[in-house]
Amino acid sequence: MRKFLSSTAKLLSSCYPLQFSLDIQTSWSYSFAKMKMFSLSHKTAFVVDHCPYMAESCRQQVEFDMLTKNRSQGVIPLAPVSKSLWTCAVECSMEYCRILYDIYPTNKLVNYIVSDSEFHILNSWNQEDQNTQELMSALAAVGPPNPHEDPECCSILHGLVAAVESLCKITEYQHQARTELMDRADRVSNRGRIVCLTNAKSDTHVRMLEDCVLETIQEQNKLAAGSDRLMQIQQCELVLIHTYPLGEDTLVSDRPKKEISPVLSSEVHSVRAGRHLAAKLNILVQQHFDLASTTITNIPMKEEQHANTSANYDVELLHHREAHMEFIKSGDLHPAGSTSRDSGLKETVTLKWCTPRTNSVELHYCTGAYRISPVDVNSRPSSCLTNFLLNGRSVLLEQPRKSGSKDPPSISEGCGGRVTDYRITDFGELMRENRLTPFPESGSSGKSPSERAKDQLERHTRYWPMIISQTTIFNMQAVVPLANLIVKETLTEDDVLTCQKTVYNLVDMERKNDPLPVSTVGTRGKGPKRDEQYRTMWNELETLVRTHVGGGERHARVLECVTACRSRPPEEEERKKRGRKREDKEEKSERNGKDMEAEKNWQETERLKGALEREKEELVESEVIKDSPDSPEPLNKKPRLALEETQLPEKAKGPVSLLTLWTNRVNTANSRKHQEFAGRISSVNNKAELYQHLKDDNGMETHENGKANR
Amino acid sequence: MPTVVLMDVSLSMTRPVALEGSEEFQRKNLAIHGLTMLFEHMATNYRLEFTALVAFSSLWELMVPFTRDYNTLQEALSNLEDYDKTCLESALQGVSNIVQQEWGSSCPCQVVLVTDGSLGIGKGSLRHSLSTMKHRGDDKKFPLPFPFPAKLYIMCIANAEELQSSDNLESLEQLLTLNSGGGQIFTMEGPLCLKSVQSMFGKLIDQAYTPFHAVLRCGNLSSDVQVFPRPEPVVIDEEVEPIPRTILTDLEIVGFIEIGDISSPPVLSRHLVLPIAVNKEVDEVGAGTTEDTEEDTSANQIAGKSPNFCVLLHGSLKVEGMVALVQLGPDWYGMLYSQADSKKKSNLMMSLFEPSPEPLPWLGKMSQLGPTSDAKENPYGEDDTKSPFPLQPKNKRSYAQNVTVWIKPSGLQTDVQKILRNARKLPEKTQTFYKELNRLRKAALAFGFWELLKGVAELLERECTLLPDSAHPDAAFQLSHAAQQLKLASTGDSQYAAFDHNITPMVTDFSGGERERM
Repeated sequence: MRKFLSSTAKLLSSCYPLQFSLDIQTSWSYSFAKMKMFSLSHKTAFVVDHCPYMAESCRQQVEFDMLTKNRSQGVIPLAPVSKSLWTCAVECSMEYCRILYDIYPTNKLVNYIVSDSEFHILNSWNQEDQNTQELMSALAAVGPPNPHEDPECCSILHGLVAAVESLCKITEYQHQARTELMDRADRVSNRGRIVCLTNAKSDTHVRMLEDCVLETIQEQNKLAAGSDRLMQIQQCELVLIHTYPLGEDTLVSDRPKKEISPVLSSEVHSVRAGRHLAAKLNILVQQHFDLASTTITNIPMKEEQHANTSANYDVELLHHREAHMEFIKSGDLHPAGSTSRDSGLKETVTLKWCTPRTNSVELHYCTGAYRISPVDVNSRPSSCLTNFLLNGRSVLLEQPRKSGSKDPPSISEGCGGRVTDYRITDFGELMRENRLTPFPESGSSGKSPSERAKDQLERHTRYWPMIISQTTIFNMQAVVPLANLIVKETLTEDDVLTCQKTVYNLVDMERKNDPLPVSTVGTRGKGPKRDEQYRTMWNELETLVRTHVGGGERHARVLECVTACRSRPPEEEERKKRGRKREDKEEKSERNGKDMEAEKNWQETERLKGALEREKEELVESEVIKDSPDSPEPLNKKPRLALEETQLPEKAKGPVSLLTLWTNRVNTANSRKHQEFAGRISSVNNKAELYQHLKDDNGMETHENGKANR
Repeated sequence: MPTVVLMDVSLSMTRPVALEGSEEFQRKNLAIHGLTMLFEHMATNYRLEFTALVAFSSLWELMVPFTRDYNTLQEALSNLEDYDKTCLESALQGVSNIVQQEWGSSCPCQVVLVTDGSLGIGKGSLRHSLSTMKHRGDDKKFPLPFPFPAKLYIMCIANAEELQSSDNLESLEQLLTLNSGGGQIFTMEGPLCLKSVQSMFGKLIDQAYTPFHAVLRCGNLSSDVQVFPRPEPVVIDEEVEPIPRTILTDLEIVGFIEIGDISSPPVLSRHLVLPIAVNKEVDEVGAGTTEDTEEDTSANQIAGKSPNFCVLLHGSLKVEGMVALVQLGPDWYGMLYSQADSKKKSNLMMSLFEPSPEPLPWLGKMSQLGPTSDAKENPYGEDDTKSPFPLQPKNKRSYAQNVTVWIKPSGLQTDVQKILRNARKLPEKTQTFYKELNRLRKAALAFGFWELLKGVAELLERECTLLPDSAHPDAAFQLSHAAQQLKLASTGDSQYAAFDHNITPMVTDFSGGERERM
């Protein structure tokens, strides 16, 4: 045994469909378990003999009265039962189908035909008929052969003829491929296999059956040439299985595959009924569908009787042969000496179970995934293993270790690798919000779900600074509600309200001069002053919201709210101050006594705010000094450039005179102080309800904001 | 994709090349010149390629094991000595061994054979090898095709006319045919000189060593990347005309999936996704340094310090335990994830799935994967404890549906015992008793195994007679009812033997209340 290590191992994963994955270090090309679409194995016609002779016992007895032994003495166990040749043929053919459907849920079709005095077709080539339950139900309706029927009327020939006719019928898949290929429809081939379970009289009888199949193919091909729904058979493989009771001499000899004509080949197997027939069909299903066997050994299982001990068990699985390619190529596969106990001389690859690590969600390198089917599906070890996997767990299996895993360079050595303040958590949050989920296919011609997923990613990343020091708003808890909502494709009225509240809250923060989480990393000397920080924050928020303004009227209202509430850039602030002084003079001369009180209030607030600002600025400066010495790098220029660019359109937005700005603001501020305002508005514009809602939720805040900041 | 350079150092490589007026060159010098050019190209544009150097004549020797240190390779080239005759077969066997030892049999590899095209005479010559290869045993098989996927590039330090005059070109072509992985023979055009050897190696570089550059996008975030090793064209279907497909240079992320949900999917190939700085030197102010030697490191440092989307993505994928689904072309997808080979070093990797609308059945069709916000209910649950994956198949597999198989006697015995065990615990186990009974009944009817139905009926009747005095009166009623029903079914009478019919518990004076509680 070479380099067996438990750390690198084969992987059995639990995903539906139960897959069998290879975990190997490196690879370039692997081919998915897939045969040519219309090979011989696309269509399999099962023809099972239902003539009176098949009612004979297979002469293998099954004890079924087992429990009596260890109970009351003196009870005589019931006589064992014995299966008929028919029962053996049916259960072995069902087993063949079970394995086939497990490993090829689509595209490999079975047409089940029963033959006595006539033929009975139990299912069609349609995909919905392709499962064992349907077949079991149909078989129950047929029942066992009637031993009293006249044997002269009965023949397997009826079934064989029906099978050939059936092979000429086009399947959904062939039809689809023909439609897709249009002018090259002739490329879609029609091949098939007939598996016939019968009791033949002699080699001559077998020869007669073969001749009959060939004749029927020739006849049917002539018919098919002139039909749209039929296809000519290009190749047919006849697998005749002669089955007979134990202890009888066979009257038919085995014969390997032989070409009878270019279109028909035939082979003959002469097998005793019961477990011999089962073993033969197990080998055939592997040959017919390119399967191979893997036995998992050393599976620890609790003993039923002694719960605290565990014994080791083996489970044999079938899967596509491709899964063993790595072993064969690397020379690690030693077919000799690794045989399965259950399936005669068939080869199996033995792999050891590794006790799974719990809770480790790892991405293993996998070069192939293959559907499996347990050979002994309802044995206890098999069902323990499959239930373990169906519950979402996985198993690692030991296999020879490969060298050649060279460490790749670290990402920290490349571009952007020296940056340390990426918004890893925030992007993780974005990833969670952009997780995918399957949607049923709908007939509508709208965008596919994956296109919608890309659209959502586009919206979510319109403004997305990658590092912490490039952003203020995304470092602020207070912005979160707005930032989460604004990226939505459509906003509800409630969403707009939440966004507005977020903005008012920021206004309030600015009024109270709350510190902002501005990164001092990379700044030289004093950081920006508090009001400058707020302006940067507002710029950023406006940039974010502006990228979504195309989202609709409600998105636009959020932007309106931001632009209306935000603090101004310094030049504008300066102009505003100068304007105010001039206006003050003008207004004072004109104003009547009624407005005096409001004006006084406002002045008071401004004065207070100024004092607070000075106080806090000092505080900030001391903080910055504390932080600065270790950070000599200049602030990254890119984001600033970006902000300046986005500011431009706003500046150029159009001529609004200072007077208009001023009166608007004063009006707003004044109107908020008047109790009767809400009612007045509602009576004019019929918007009373909306305003009421705002006021109920946030009345205090709006009032305060109005008073403080305007 | 590691590279093995297989260099012919037989005596014939020392043949001088006629040059007008200048110093005399040997063919070996031309070969070294060409390889130097290849190594220089790799050192700058294909840095991550592992390359090994093997020299051969009648024997072979691994001069430099797989390395990314192109100086070492260069040095080894200049120290090559001259030996005896050419024996290609043993050298190819050597290459096969070296690659398998280092990379196993599944890693694709490129072999660059540099030779003057004189392939030896008599025993050990390529012609001899090729003529005898069909008559050998398994232990002395010809090394081609290699057990690993390999491209074979044959660089002839000779021109085509020269090779055609002997039958050496034919032998080399035969080598290519033997190597199923493909490849090409390069010959020199015109006179043998430095210029023509440069042009020949230039063609090899274009063919096999051009880096693959792409833009990785996630909405509005993006990064220029190199995908290494470069993704090779993939041929999809055998049935319809095979068209090789190449991945897009615009790689767009569709969305994200948890590692547990995608669960180690099978992939065609794996690639490093390396962010690259495009024209950074021009963009960055102050990048220029006075000393030329430091220019490169300085540019690297600056590139290292500007934020890059790949690094952000890698970090978040690693922390969250997720992969990003990326579209590679029409109906072709891959995944991006963080791959750590040792504890310290991790990198952004991309794996390619098989080109298909549904490469991973447990995710369904890739184009049908959409944003969770479109779903009526969050499929991951409000507390993030659920998952929409894996998708359930339309038909359950046999191992997930409690099928009945009686091929081995033990299968049948277990099923009969289950019925008996429940029969002895009637009426408590009435429901399970009938469930198991009906399961057996269905299978017996399908298999035409009426004898078994009779047998089990007898068994139940006997159980009835063996009931202890303490038994619940309902037990006797249920047992004889069940036995009777099985007997009726075993007659094949369509009224009682219908597959979909189920035997239901008998309603007795005692049983009503019991079953309510079941």
